[in-house]
Amino acid sequence: MSQQELSKDPLKVIIAGVGGQGNVLMSFLIGSAMIKLGYSVTVFDNYGASQRLGAVASHIKISRESSDMSPLLHEGDADVIVGIEPIELLRNLTRFGNPEVIAIANLRPVYPIGVISGEAEYPELDTVIETIRRLSAQSWIVNASEEALKLGNPLYTNVILLGVLLGSKALPLDRETIEEVLREELPQAFEMNKAALQKGLDLVKVD
Amino acid sequence: MTKYASKKLYDEVIDNGLCTLCGGCTGLCPYLFLHDGRVVRVHQCDLDEGQCYQCCPRTHTDMDAISRAIFGAPYGEDEIGIAREVFLARSTDQEIHLKAQDGGIVTTLLSVALTEGMIDGAVETKLDGEKIPHGVIARNRKELLECAGVSYEPSPILEAFNRLPRQSTEKLGFVGLPCHVTCLSKMRLLPPINRAPIENGKLVIGLFCGWTLSHGFHQFLTERFDLTKAIKFDIPHHPAHSFDLYTKSETQSVDLDELRPFINTACRYCIDMTAEFADISVGSGRALFKGWNTVIVRTKAGAELVEIAKKDRAMEIQPIPDESLTNLKRASLNKKRNAVHRIIDRTGSRKDLGYLGISGSLADKLLS
Amino acid sequence: MAHIEIDAPGTTQLLLGNEAIARGALEAGIGFATAYPGTPSSEIMGTLAPIARKMGFYAEWSINEMVAFEAASAASLSNIRALSSMKANGVNVITDFLVNLQMTGVGKGLVLVVCDDPGGMTSSNEQDTRPIAKWLNIPLLEPSTAQECKDMTAWAFELSEELGMVSMVRSVTYLSHTRGTVRFGKLPANTKTARFAEFYDIDNPRQSRYTCGMQFHPYKQSEVLLNRFSKAPEYCEGSPFNAYSGPEAPELLIISSGICWTYATEAVSILQVHDRVGILKLGTTWPLPEGLISRHLERSDKVLFIEEIAPFVERSVMELAASLPGDHARPAFYGKRSGHVRAWGEQNLNLVIQSLATVMGTSYRSRQTLSPQYQSTVNEVEKILPTRPLTFCPGCPHRASFWAIKHALQLDGRNGFVTGDIGCTAMGMISPGSFQVRTYYAMGGGVGIANGFGHLERFSFNQPVIAVCGDSTFFHASIPGLINGVWNRSNFTLAILDNSATAMTGFQPHPGTGVTATGDPGKKVSIEALCQSLGVPVAVCDPFDLTGTIATLLRMLRDEEPTKVVILRRECELVRARRDKEKPYKMYVDPARCIGEECGCNRLCTRVFSCPGLVWDKEAGKAMIDEAVCSGCGLCAGVCPQGAIMRDAL
Repeated sequence: MSQQELSKDPLKVIIAGVGGQGNVLMSFLIGSAMIKLGYSVTVFDNYGASQRLGAVASHIKISRESSDMSPLLHEGDADVIVGIEPIELLRNLTRFGNPEVIAIANLRPVYPIGVISGEAEYPELDTVIETIRRLSAQSWIVNASEEALKLGNPLYTNVILLGVLLGSKALPLDRETIEEVLREELPQAFEMNKAALQKGLDLVKVD
Repeated sequence: MTKYASKKLYDEVIDNGLCTLCGGCTGLCPYLFLHDGRVVRVHQCDLDEGQCYQCCPRTHTDMDAISRAIFGAPYGEDEIGIAREVFLARSTDQEIHLKAQDGGIVTTLLSVALTEGMIDGAVETKLDGEKIPHGVIARNRKELLECAGVSYEPSPILEAFNRLPRQSTEKLGFVGLPCHVTCLSKMRLLPPINRAPIENGKLVIGLFCGWTLSHGFHQFLTERFDLTKAIKFDIPHHPAHSFDLYTKSETQSVDLDELRPFINTACRYCIDMTAEFADISVGSGRALFKGWNTVIVRTKAGAELVEIAKKDRAMEIQPIPDESLTNLKRASLNKKRNAVHRIIDRTGSRKDLGYLGISGSLADKLLS
Repeated sequence: MAHIEIDAPGTTQLLLGNEAIARGALEAGIGFATAYPGTPSSEIMGTLAPIARKMGFYAEWSINEMVAFEAASAASLSNIRALSSMKANGVNVITDFLVNLQMTGVGKGLVLVVCDDPGGMTSSNEQDTRPIAKWLNIPLLEPSTAQECKDMTAWAFELSEELGMVSMVRSVTYLSHTRGTVRFGKLPANTKTARFAEFYDIDNPRQSRYTCGMQFHPYKQSEVLLNRFSKAPEYCEGSPFNAYSGPEAPELLIISSGICWTYATEAVSILQVHDRVGILKLGTTWPLPEGLISRHLERSDKVLFIEEIAPFVERSVMELAASLPGDHARPAFYGKRSGHVRAWGEQNLNLVIQSLATVMGTSYRSRQTLSPQYQSTVNEVEKILPTRPLTFCPGCPHRASFWAIKHALQLDGRNGFVTGDIGCTAMGMISPGSFQVRTYYAMGGGVGIANGFGHLERFSFNQPVIAVCGDSTFFHASIPGLINGVWNRSNFTLAILDNSATAMTGFQPHPGTGVTATGDPGKKVSIEALCQSLGVPVAVCDPFDLTGTIATLLRMLRDEEPTKVVILRRECELVRARRDKEKPYKMYVDPARCIGEECGCNRLCTRVFSCPGLVWDKEAGKAMIDEAVCSGCGLCAGVCPQGAIMRDAL
């Protein structure tokens, strides 16, 4: 069981990315883990048409006291934002960020069609990093995709980011509970996911 | 030369009734296709400068610049262009005679050029199963023979050159109408990029041309004739007045007047009857010399080839009678005059010659 | 993920609203479930189908919502509890049957679940389906949480049986797709016997019974219907799904239903006005619990309605207020009529906070606006963030199909155009589909409208028309349109983009796939055999064979036969990737061959062709493959004019 409690109640987390990057799975893993720890959880994933490489985000609310929470955050309301894609993180920071927010970023761009065709520009990565830092109280900016490729599959990006989230201590989440959820939900890939989780934790120590 | 791209090409030429369907702008890129007798723009290209515009024979063409580059002399004094030699000739090869037009000289000269290694391939027209002309590259005698014979429809010969890979080192000969030849000359002045080098072109044979037949002509042909049986087409010279289709057993004809609606409107504004920028120009022997070709040798390269052909006894030659030469010159001058008059009718001003870049004095001469 | 079939009352799981609805159906002892895929409803059948065999009920993806609902009604008339789920547009499709079903009533519980899409985020229109309940006298339930999705669905069956009529449960995207904690109830014993009560009496044929709206006098059935429905208010009045929380006599009464109730609750908390504002949650929104509402109307001077999309509850409460005796208190009503609540689009917490603040005369400043420096950084950053428009997935055959269609229409040269339909093919309207689609309406609308265009030649119309639809849409709604064209000799080409899936909604099977909802083999219906039986030209192409497909389309556009069919068949890339896991090709760009922005290419691949896996390296001035996104389909290799895109078979 976790020693910590929520830094705020309800605690609000956003997982942002591009359709197909796995925000739905990530939010489900986090939500399930928090339920095991006895919290009430509401998770909203927007998908549907967004899945075709559109912008997606999952909103997670975790509470000891309230149940029946609304599915959405309101402006400036996030406590933690995890970005599987850098400008989606930025996009959600502009909507839901505030001076106290914690940001976790995977620094691997996915180019929108407008950028590929030359109609729009993708900001320089240096600008992105600097802006993330300006728009958050604390941030971890990692190359989770690179590390995932080293482990053999870009799909491990999410679990690595989970490891970073774990290590950031932004949630009262412990390793054992997350591993339990990983084992239940993704039994075949458990060993690899364990390694990915560890990698994420390592990245936190480095930063 | 002013530089523009596909949008201007459409405004000035293709949507303006001036397109000769030479194929100079197609096969260059994935945006322009030649289909069903039209140059079709499939996607939007937003470049400011394009090769399609640059080499088109109906965008602004500085005839002097081209003439100086090829001959070292300005354009226009001679009715049939700069000519080192003019004579009548016909092939000594019987196989060529069966297939080819008039004297079969084009096929003969190309055959010699191939054999001598002057060229590795010839860019010319081939008719497909439905007798629709396409641009191909003929690399041996068999393929040359398959291309022999005239089609009176416009042929996008230059598309075949445009499609060659950039790294191609093949030496090429070209056979084309005056518009093709002009396009090639413009390419020589401003070599296209991302194409096979234009320097690979070692020989240009131009064909005499009055006009081509398009705008539904092919439909007309398929309705009137069984094209599968056709082996040759001919429009014999004055005093004949017909379009002839030869099958193995007979000749079928229609009156020339029936063809008038199909004359490509773009041809009305063309001043070049004898392909004045070619190395060698070849036309029919006209009525007096049926079965012969009129040959004009213009450049050193052309002269060299003719020498070799003579030495090889590939062709029989006779001098061209003065009267014939005079008639040829008169016909050519008429075409120039008509074209220039029609151009100023369109532009509304004697000073505005549209795409045609010729000297003021030549313009005056032609308009007087 | 979720396991709704477990028999463990008291367990808690994190369930989607849709999964909770499915669980509610299980707890009610459902025997028959039907649906047609439609976001945001698809997960209901998506959850029920895999466990149907195990749990002993029948589950089906039907060819369309009409057949789905009709089939479910059969079960209900035969003593089996049945449920049919669909998106809002599905209710449009079933309406003719529904109005007739109201004439006859039902047997065992029949529940219609409709999931609306406020804002139309995954629909062609924005539609609030609730007014149909008022129009047709159908009891209407609106759950507000995942728990209620379960509990109210279970109760909906009981209600349906008590009244002898279909009952309707209405959800929205933000409820269906939100996961919340749900405590499970009991699963009933699994014994059901189907028996159709209407009989034919051979000795006394006149005594035969039948379900029929007419009874040869529909008005008599209308009276029966009204009598049935008149019992509804009693059940709704006492329902625990209607509840009040707040002070005895609040300054402001919020009346709210559905997911909006959670926004209202949170807004009150955020604005810290819980001592001044009370919230009346309505779970039964037709008929209204009139007694409950009138009592609360008495206690406040102001009422604010928070609902989406239409002012449905708002107007019904106002009607109620108008009908109360003269001395009854009449508060001021705030909502969509008064402009305090947005009357279009989905509600969200930001909007509800603003509406509440305005009505309460306070203001709210978010944590962002409270920090001017943060706010100004936000404003700066917003300007540099590119949007993410929809696109076809990498490897999608539709990209190739529309590329071929574009070529064919341009080469044809008669200003031809495409009439579009619902599904992934709809993205033919935008860049990934080469902007080809010119009209877009409802299921089957593409071929339907093409029928009209195909008869305008007498008015000098000569533009060729290509009607595009997907394979699932073809089965759902396009067949009658095609037959009409054939029969009436209308001039159009129907292009069926067959990717062997109902892709947009989540790759559900359909008649062409040969598999049913439960994974059992179903009889595979051949699209081309069906079309060929109509005696018209039918061609089947692989859209990845661009040259062949363009040639076929060109040929068809000029074919003398007025109506013709081209089937562009290639499997959906996402379906293929899930199954095969491996990419077919390794793709890369040879920078030596790539001429990029120069004449001869002008960035055809990234500027015009447009696939997210193919990106432009601005610094190098060359195209390159984004390996993380590229699906390895190999199509782009054939598009590059310089042959610079290479593909190695894996």
